[in-house]
Amino acid sequence: MNPYAPELYRIKKTVFESDDFTLKSFLLEPIDGNMMDFIPGQFCEISVFGKGEAPFGIASAPHEKEGLLFTVNRVGLVTGALHEMEEGHIVGIRGPLGNGYPVDEFKGKNVVIIGGGFAFTTLRSLTLYLLENRKDYGKITVIYGARRPGLLLYKEDLANWEKRGDIELHLTVDTEFPEWDKHVGFVPQVLEKVAPSPENAYAVVCGPPVMIKFTLPVLAKLGFEKDKVYTSLERRMKCGIGKCGRCNIGPYYVCKDGPVFSLAQLEKLPKEY
Amino acid sequence: MKRVPLSELERIYEALKSYGSVWVRKKNAYETAETPEELLSTVSKVKKPAKFIFLPEEEPLLAFVQDGKNVTFQEVIREAKGVIFGIPPCEAKAISLLDLNFLQGEGEDIYYKKRRENVLLFGLACLAPDSRCFCTTFGYGPFTESFTDIFGVVVDDVLLFEGITEKGKDLVKNLDVEDAKGEELKKLEAMKKEITERVKKLDIQGIQEKLARMMDSEIWDKISSSCLGCGACTYYCPTCYCFDIQDVERPNWGYRLRTWDSCMFTLYTLEGSGHNPRPELKYRWRNRLMHKFNYYPVLYQEFGCVGCGRCIEVCPVNIDIREILMEVKNEPIRA
Ligand SMILES: Cc1cc2nc3c(=O)[nH]c(=O)nc-3n(C[C@H](O)[C@H](O)[C@H](O)COP(=O)(O)OP(=O)(O)OC[C@H]3O[C@@H](n4cnc5c(N)ncnc54)[C@H](O)[C@@H]3O)c2cc1C
Ligand code: SF4
Ligand code: SF4
Ligand code: FES
Repeated sequence: MNPYAPELYRIKKTVFESDDFTLKSFLLEPIDGNMMDFIPGQFCEISVFGKGEAPFGIASAPHEKEGLLFTVNRVGLVTGALHEMEEGHIVGIRGPLGNGYPVDEFKGKNVVIIGGGFAFTTLRSLTLYLLENRKDYGKITVIYGARRPGLLLYKEDLANWEKRGDIELHLTVDTEFPEWDKHVGFVPQVLEKVAPSPENAYAVVCGPPVMIKFTLPVLAKLGFEKDKVYTSLERRMKCGIGKCGRCNIGPYYVCKDGPVFSLAQLEKLPKEY
Repeated sequence: MKRVPLSELERIYEALKSYGSVWVRKKNAYETAETPEELLSTVSKVKKPAKFIFLPEEEPLLAFVQDGKNVTFQEVIREAKGVIFGIPPCEAKAISLLDLNFLQGEGEDIYYKKRRENVLLFGLACLAPDSRCFCTTFGYGPFTESFTDIFGVVVDDVLLFEGITEKGKDLVKNLDVEDAKGEELKKLEAMKKEITERVKKLDIQGIQEKLARMMDSEIWDKISSSCLGCGACTYYCPTCYCFDIQDVERPNWGYRLRTWDSCMFTLYTLEGSGHNPRPELKYRWRNRLMHKFNYYPVLYQEFGCVGCGRCIEVCPVNIDIREILMEVKNEPIRA
């Protein structure tokens, strides 16, 4: 087995997620028909042959067999080239990589999912996974915010969740917008208002660094212990399998031992993220 | 132990040759030998370590062809087969440390493995440790055979040697050579003692634990203040292995290339967003030292340095890792 050799996937569908065209989703199907199995929170290295590879969190849930979903923010070489690709193009996939969210540890517990901006990708996967295995989990609360309504990802899923009675969804945008009748304000403020109980509960937080910075104190105030709060880290990556040395935080590699860590774990490591 | 007079090295050269390439020590790098005389090299520390044979500065990983929306690719694996003749114990130990990264756990690196498993290490005792060597700090020395397949010592004008691993023993078994003489073995023991004692051993007891408490120390500013961030120390270090992977694109085809990289470079950790988790040299220096003296021990119960002194020799501003280790040791910990 060559860990650097990708599997080939064909782009089945693309869709712009945001009204500013910076976020594009790709549904990929394996050309040999073998869909990979994975855990929400894991990621893949996507190859655009000729441009290189870059890591992306898997946004689809393991039971969604129609393909792997990724949502890509256009920032540089590989992401720029991906954005130029359409249905039928071939890309390479290496994965699933990393540890994923501890969904077994969450069993029987309430789960509070807190997301900001386009970091909602693997949180979509997690939420759908919990809903698919609904009876294994307690109360599910999702708090998700973006700067404005046009930047919220996965609107179809959000609409479905709003209709369901077994998940509590709180959407927010930074400032007032016409026809926006949901929360207004930053994610940490909404979290404070919603005030989920820490009793028998886990929290998962993903978002831009500022959001995380202001969300963690709120969770602490609400009484969430550090070993009950998980987040997913990003670091520049190449090999994705703990060999190239790039993504270490202390003796751990974000690509192999992460990207998901609890605050209790992070507290013991150098602040190199 | 076996013996072969240095004047008759062709007796083992042919056998080594039949195994594959025979790399010998040249001043700047290990190079393949053309004649048995080249086995006689007296270079004691080759500038570029033998890791280059297992982890080349650059190597293609795969090649691809594009045809419209379609792509096909092929793995490209550059193999190597042969014997590295004369590798000193420090470099052999360094390779055993690289093995920990490339061969352990899931996701074995088959590019590294294909070369590693087909290249024998014919080690030679190091008879001329220099002023920068501090190998004995790490629990081995210039006469340690354990990291090699075959190990030898040149005593006067005779090469004494023996097989260490199964592969090494197999090769030695088929050689037309005699047993070493009693007085030669006696002389070897005396040399071993005298030469090993010449190496200046550092006392780094407790360094791993000390470093664990020094993440926020001011010492990193001091250490890195004269460093240029050139990365020479990491390129020449026989235990450093960080690499980068990039694509090279030609019209309708291209290849994926693995190249060396260095944790001393800004771009190593710079993220797409512009954020850099190790924005200043002091953090990169901290990572380099921590990796060798704390993270490697945490992961593998082994230091990630073999005390070869190359980084001291190549540093353009004379930064000496031994002095840094002593500074770390002597630095008081603030409560
Ligand atoms: C676990 C994980 C999950 C992720 N999930 C997602 C996801 O779901 N969606 C998503 O959009 N992103 C995700 N990312 C981030 C994504 O991997 C990066 O945005 C991507 O790697 C950028 O690649 P690029 O080739 O487009 O950018 P690059 O071209 O590599 O770099 C972009 C910018 O980085 C700097 N830079 C990098 N290299 C150089 C250089 N050699 N010289 C000069 N400047 C340089 C420059 O500022 C440049 O403009 C994830 C990252 C990780 C680690
Ligand atoms: S002495 Fe320097 S070059 Fe040699 S192994 Fe240690 S860190 Fe590497
Ligand atoms: S060789 Fe010297 S100057 Fe260059 S990065 Fe290493 S320590 Fe710094
Ligand atoms: S990306 Fe290579 S070690 Fe993590």
